[in-house]
Amino acid sequence: MSRPIRIALTKGRLEEKTVAMLESLGYDCSAVRNKGRKLILPIGDGSVECVLAKAADVVTYVENGVCDLGVVGKDTIMEMGGTYYEVLDLGFGRCRFALAGLAGQPFFGGYGTKRIASKYVNVATAYFEKKNMDVDVVKIEGSVELAPVLGLADAIVDIVETGTTLKENGLAVIEDIAQVSARLIVNVASMKLRREPIQALIDACERAVKAGGTV
Amino acid sequence: MKPSRQKTPAGTRDRLYEECAKDSLVSASLKELYESAGYRRVVTPMLEFFDVFTGAEQTLPAERMFTLTDAQGRLMVLRPDCTVPIARITAGRLSGQPLPLRLYYSQNICRRYPEGKGRRTETHQAGIELIGSGDLAGDCEAMELAAESLARLSDGFRLELCHIGYFKALVEALDTDEETAEQIRLAVETKNYGRLNDLLRAFPDTGAVRALRRLPALFGGPEVLEAAAALFDGGTAGEALARCREVYAFLQDLGLGDAVMLDLGLVGQVEYYTGLVIRGYFDGIGEPVLSGGRYDQLCGTFGEPHPAVGFAVDMELAARAVDAPADERQTVYVRAEGPAAYAAAAACRRDLRAKGIRAVCADGLTEEEWEALPEGGVLITADEKEVRP
Repeated sequence: MSRPIRIALTKGRLEEKTVAMLESLGYDCSAVRNKGRKLILPIGDGSVECVLAKAADVVTYVENGVCDLGVVGKDTIMEMGGTYYEVLDLGFGRCRFALAGLAGQPFFGGYGTKRIASKYVNVATAYFEKKNMDVDVVKIEGSVELAPVLGLADAIVDIVETGTTLKENGLAVIEDIAQVSARLIVNVASMKLRREPIQALIDACERAVKAGGTV
Repeated sequence: MKPSRQKTPAGTRDRLYEECAKDSLVSASLKELYESAGYRRVVTPMLEFFDVFTGAEQTLPAERMFTLTDAQGRLMVLRPDCTVPIARITAGRLSGQPLPLRLYYSQNICRRYPEGKGRRTETHQAGIELIGSGDLAGDCEAMELAAESLARLSDGFRLELCHIGYFKALVEALDTDEETAEQIRLAVETKNYGRLNDLLRAFPDTGAVRALRRLPALFGGPEVLEAAAALFDGGTAGEALARCREVYAFLQDLGLGDAVMLDLGLVGQVEYYTGLVIRGYFDGIGEPVLSGGRYDQLCGTFGEPHPAVGFAVDMELAARAVDAPADERQTVYVRAEGPAAYAAAAACRRDLRAKGIRAVCADGLTEEEWEALPEGGVLITADEKEVRP
């Protein structure tokens, strides 16, 4: 098999951090930095190439084996599930999943069925299942903070970084659900069929994480 | 017209021409292999009772199965797996037959997956089950056939071996609760080193813990077995590694070389498998083409305990690895000039077919259509034949 090792990067912030990490490892990423409209870009000497994609698509590409590796947030992994190796916590893109509601209003307690708004329906459902709570989960695509403010939901399950957006909308964290950071994922078959170059790349990333140069 | 009249359900598709030709090629090749190794074909129903698939040792979750009900309201499923029904047969109609039983199948299974993930719900599997042979010879027989199945279909294949006994021994040595054990298993299966380390931090630093920590990395060549033995060989771990070593050596003696790999972190269906676990991969295909292993507990759940080992090949993935067979048959169109010559034209076509020539009926064609045909033809008039170049 002759095609280069293909790595899918989550567009945006994670992409920048990943490129910085790869550059710290000595990979020439100028093609990614000056990408224009191209979708598949060579990295270094061309033995690696990268694809830029939305987070959920990174998982899909890796799971289906059209990309060997991927860099994607734990939030997407938790929401999408799937079959692949999750080999390394890259340490950047740190944030957390949290349950948040209107500040000063108790959430737990009472016998009413709570309504939860979230972009991450599976994460929200799994969280409340673990708590043995029967809730209605409503899928909201953007600005989930609006839902409790407008009275659509009692609380939200969402990604929280600094908490500023919550605060500005009169919301507060009720409980943290999980820590999130960027992960390096690997296709199951690629790991076996192209072990050496992939393992070398994983090891290099691990060195970068340990060196702390990318956080 | 309803939109659903025009399409097939998510995860299913119509398969046309070359796809069918490739499937036939792959099927014929594997059938020939299994039959010439003394395996006999069985076909099980597409509809089975739900209860068949929900015994204690079976791990296919209910949400993966297509369910329906029979006239008495009993829950039924579309066959989600080929091995479980065969285990059912061994305790039923094949009960008391001389062992080992050598059985093979080539049939479809249906599994439910969330839509939009590109997963196929209906897939064609072919595979073998060797029932009643619990020793090294049985393992070797099944592994040899697995390797041969892969080798027949692609030069670029890898066969991967694991023995679930190693992982089970490590978890046993941890002496932890079921939920923690399951989380550890999941972290090993997904090679999630970070999560695994977090989970193991709660345990004292014993050989078993060190081995578990390294388990996701224990894949590669025979050095893996030495590394594993050095880390931990208590409980059943030693036996598991010994069996792995013997089967690996056997496959090396067959000349398989680098095509055989070991991965002691292959801990997918830990409830179901009891010994060797195998996966087969083809270059360029992102999911396992072959999977199987030893499942000595399954037959017992149907009332007749037998050791058993087997594997299944995903025929659609396998078909991607082969080229469509070249169509080398000559094609001739045979046309009767009028109804009076229909019988003569049919007889002519039969003669051609007997000679291995493809003879296509062109009786209903108009003069223009007949002239426009690309290849040679035979025009049959009431009393003579006219061969067109």
